[in-house]
Amino acid sequence: MKKFTHISARSIDEAVAALRQYGDRACLIAGGTDILGKMKDDILPRYPEALVDIKGIAGLEFLREEKGSLRIGALTRLEDIAREPRIREKYSALAQAAGRTASPHLREMGTLAGNLCQDIRCWYYRNPNNRFPCLRKGGGRCYAIEGDNRYHSILGGSVEGGCYAVHPSDTAPALVALNAEVRTTKRTLPVEDLFGVDVARTTVLDSDEIVTEIRVPAPKAGSRSAFLKFAIRKSIDFPIVNCAAMIACRNGAVASSRICLNAVAVRPYRAAGAEKTILKKRIDEPLAEAAGIAALSGAKPMGHNGYMVQVARVLVKRAILACAG
Amino acid sequence: MASKKAAAPPGAWTRYPCPYCRETLDSVEAVKSHVLERHAAESLPEPEGTVHITVNGQAHTLRVEPDWTLYYLIHDVLGLTGTKLMCDRGACGSCTVIVNGRPVLSCMTLAVECDGKQVETVEGIAAAGHPLIEEYVKHHCMQCGFCTPGFVVTAKALLDRNGSPTEREIREALGGNLCRCGTYPQHPKAILQAARILREAK
Repeated sequence: MKKFTHISARSIDEAVAALRQYGDRACLIAGGTDILGKMKDDILPRYPEALVDIKGIAGLEFLREEKGSLRIGALTRLEDIAREPRIREKYSALAQAAGRTASPHLREMGTLAGNLCQDIRCWYYRNPNNRFPCLRKGGGRCYAIEGDNRYHSILGGSVEGGCYAVHPSDTAPALVALNAEVRTTKRTLPVEDLFGVDVARTTVLDSDEIVTEIRVPAPKAGSRSAFLKFAIRKSIDFPIVNCAAMIACRNGAVASSRICLNAVAVRPYRAAGAEKTILKKRIDEPLAEAAGIAALSGAKPMGHNGYMVQVARVLVKRAILACAG
Repeated sequence: MASKKAAAPPGAWTRYPCPYCRETLDSVEAVKSHVLERHAAESLPEPEGTVHITVNGQAHTLRVEPDWTLYYLIHDVLGLTGTKLMCDRGACGSCTVIVNGRPVLSCMTLAVECDGKQVETVEGIAAAGHPLIEEYVKHHCMQCGFCTPGFVVTAKALLDRNGSPTEREIREALGGNLCRCGTYPQHPKAILQAARILREAK
């Protein structure tokens, strides 16, 4: 790694002040599993001059249920979320997603907010020593269009001219399905709106904004949630496609549902087509299959990733069936 | 001129923090008089980048650079070469150490962030006479042996939390450790046996 300044913040104010002082030349570090990898590989066109460590800030690591919602501190480790019995029972999609992220060691280090705010995955973008000066780095083109795009977006580019990278978070689709909201030092917004389509960023957060908490409303009575992930390996792997669903049933028919796919586009993708297909219907296998097809009706696969469309359809189908019990 | 600067807004970062108590002040002069007033009787403050770290029960006070990883501190600075570095990207588990009870990857942890932490390495586990070491040898859980310390440390962290793990729990806990020689089937056997020995010893 190249040299940088390390600032250990003791309060949110101190961290925000440090971020302001450095402008966009500083990065936050919590678990560090994404940012340190990027710095070691030297993939950032603007190497951070300072890292602001927020792990020393008291009161950002907690897990509690309050007034019908689950409150999770930004620094709560994924492993603690995956293991918590209340979350496994009531917010199963989140526990399953946290438990399938990376490897046990990385889950002991990585935080929930860090998992949401991690950078996109693309092997051109992430190639060591900044070998491919792609769109995101101020270069002229997206290398995935003509190159090997087997793990790239099946739902089109994020901006004109490209960026077909995908967002690899496992917890993001689960939190979208569970209708969670993110609290930052500046605002409160639904997790769904956290992700940006801007070429320079992956979230809508400002450079001096810090996520402090994630709140998940208690699921309605009669609802169930599930998370499924397709990856090459069971551990230490990013998803090729993942899918989370929360379905509430009344009198045997679907009253409401939220289904979200990730790793298929630069931001988590809400499968509105699937939600519409199953609304007010009794869930069975043909219906779930039709929902899977409807979810991906707008898919625009590239040269090498047509298989991901089929994987996504099957995951939507299985997630719906898992919620039906 | 620093003395003419307006009072900083609340929470703003000024470049004049007190080296003793981190209170931020408006100017160098203000820091000087603050130090004379409040901290005159105290010994000199520690230089920036000083960490107090306990490794295998032994306390160390070290000066570290911001870009040092915990692995570098343990392996190169303290000379505890049992911890191994393979991928250096958090993808193989070879550099696992236990920090405050959690098995973490020392290659993806900054040393400067380990101030006040309790670290346990494979040397500490061996010195404590943990049955895992003996069982790993008996069950021949290694060929080249490079990944073995990472497996042993991860297994120790598991046994600390769960004294009677099932084979499935063991496999899941070791999910972050890679072995190129493919010794995987032997690990659960050794760990189950070590857990049995620990339970009988109680």
